[in-house]
Amino acid sequence: MKDYPGADWLSRYRDNVNADVELDVIGRWFTTTFTLTFGDRRYAVKVDKGRIVDIVAEPRLDVRSEFGFRSPIEVWDKFLSPNPPPLFHDFFAMLMRVPEFVLEGDSLAAMQNARALHRMMNIMRETGAPHA
Amino acid sequence: MPEFEPITGRYLTIDVAGEQHRIFVEEAGSGVPLLCLHTAGNDSRQYRHMMNDPAVTERFHVLAFDMPFHGRSTPPDRWWLKRFRLTTRSYLDTIRAVWKALGLERPVVLGCSMGGAIVLKLAADYQNELRGIVGLESSAYAPGRYNEFLHHPAIHGGELCASYTYGLNSPYSPEVNRRENWWYYSQSGPGVYQGDVHFYSLDWDAREDIKRIDTSRCKVALLTGEYDYSCTPAMSEAVAAAIRGSHYQLMKGMGHFPMIENYPDFRPYLLDALEHVVPVQAAAGAPAPMQRAAR
Repeated sequence: MKDYPGADWLSRYRDNVNADVELDVIGRWFTTTFTLTFGDRRYAVKVDKGRIVDIVAEPRLDVRSEFGFRSPIEVWDKFLSPNPPPLFHDFFAMLMRVPEFVLEGDSLAAMQNARALHRMMNIMRETGAPHA
Repeated sequence: MPEFEPITGRYLTIDVAGEQHRIFVEEAGSGVPLLCLHTAGNDSRQYRHMMNDPAVTERFHVLAFDMPFHGRSTPPDRWWLKRFRLTTRSYLDTIRAVWKALGLERPVVLGCSMGGAIVLKLAADYQNELRGIVGLESSAYAPGRYNEFLHHPAIHGGELCASYTYGLNSPYSPEVNRRENWWYYSQSGPGVYQGDVHFYSLDWDAREDIKRIDTSRCKVALLTGEYDYSCTPAMSEAVAAAIRGSHYQLMKGMGHFPMIENYPDFRPYLLDALEHVVPVQAAAGAPAPMQRAAR
């Protein structure tokens, strides 16, 4: 199982989210747990009022989540690259045009938080490529 | 004296299929009429940079209007008794009504996204009454954008529609411009963006119509952004391939909203497209040569 995106990257991502001024403005109602699955490596991201309070690696059945994004590592690599190719530059683009990029779980909960979730996903891109 | 921009906005009432619509129109410049059509769920503010650009307004009388239900145009009486659903027919009828009410003689019509789609139908149906069209992000068939969450009581429609369209910008366009377009999207009325996408992704199919366009009568220029995933470059290339004599240009590093997301980079492409549709030598009244400012 490939260590992707790696503990250092996840730590930087969490710090970037938690320091983000915009999420401080818009994140008040964004409290959830969502999953990010990179290939076969799955994480549960616990969010409270727009802040990441924990990232659980390989969550077991007692970690509940509302929704998540799942994709092969090759797709995440393009999304997280400094110069993403067209169709891989935004999660809504990938949902429309990249079949391997999947929104799983309760899509209503995801879209109710579209603005904050979109910001949080864009901070993934701003965090940079893993292992760069 | 206040330093007003050279844009004037006014209202007029038009009749569309027996229904009265109070429409907002803004304009700038003089010369060949250039009627501009905004994107789905947005309004004419998207054209503010073009209307402030002397290289355009010295040759063209630029006009942009808000579609009914959009921007500052008022919905028709009894709007609350029917679901807003734009169709190819109602879109054409509205543009034609504005065109006639404004008395535009052989205009150029420029549109983006759903506007870039409908200009193809205008060129097919009214090619003897147009100088030409400029299609930004033009597709003849564009399924895939419609979904029920765009107008849903459990979801903030303004925030979803604005976020849903934000990624259509290029990641390389200045953030301040992308955010401005986000703001315009967030201001759309409930269900308006979805009603427009009903036209764009469910009703629209002009793949046969575009074969009737005769570019010796009506010039066709098409520009599409590299990062547009709603109307991909391949979709516009298919349109260009079906219209003999059309001018198509891929805009590197651009997204779905060139006129608002990155006007400085869009400008050279736009001026080339306008030159294709209305060459300087052919324009009436020997206007001044088109000047391109440094990017």
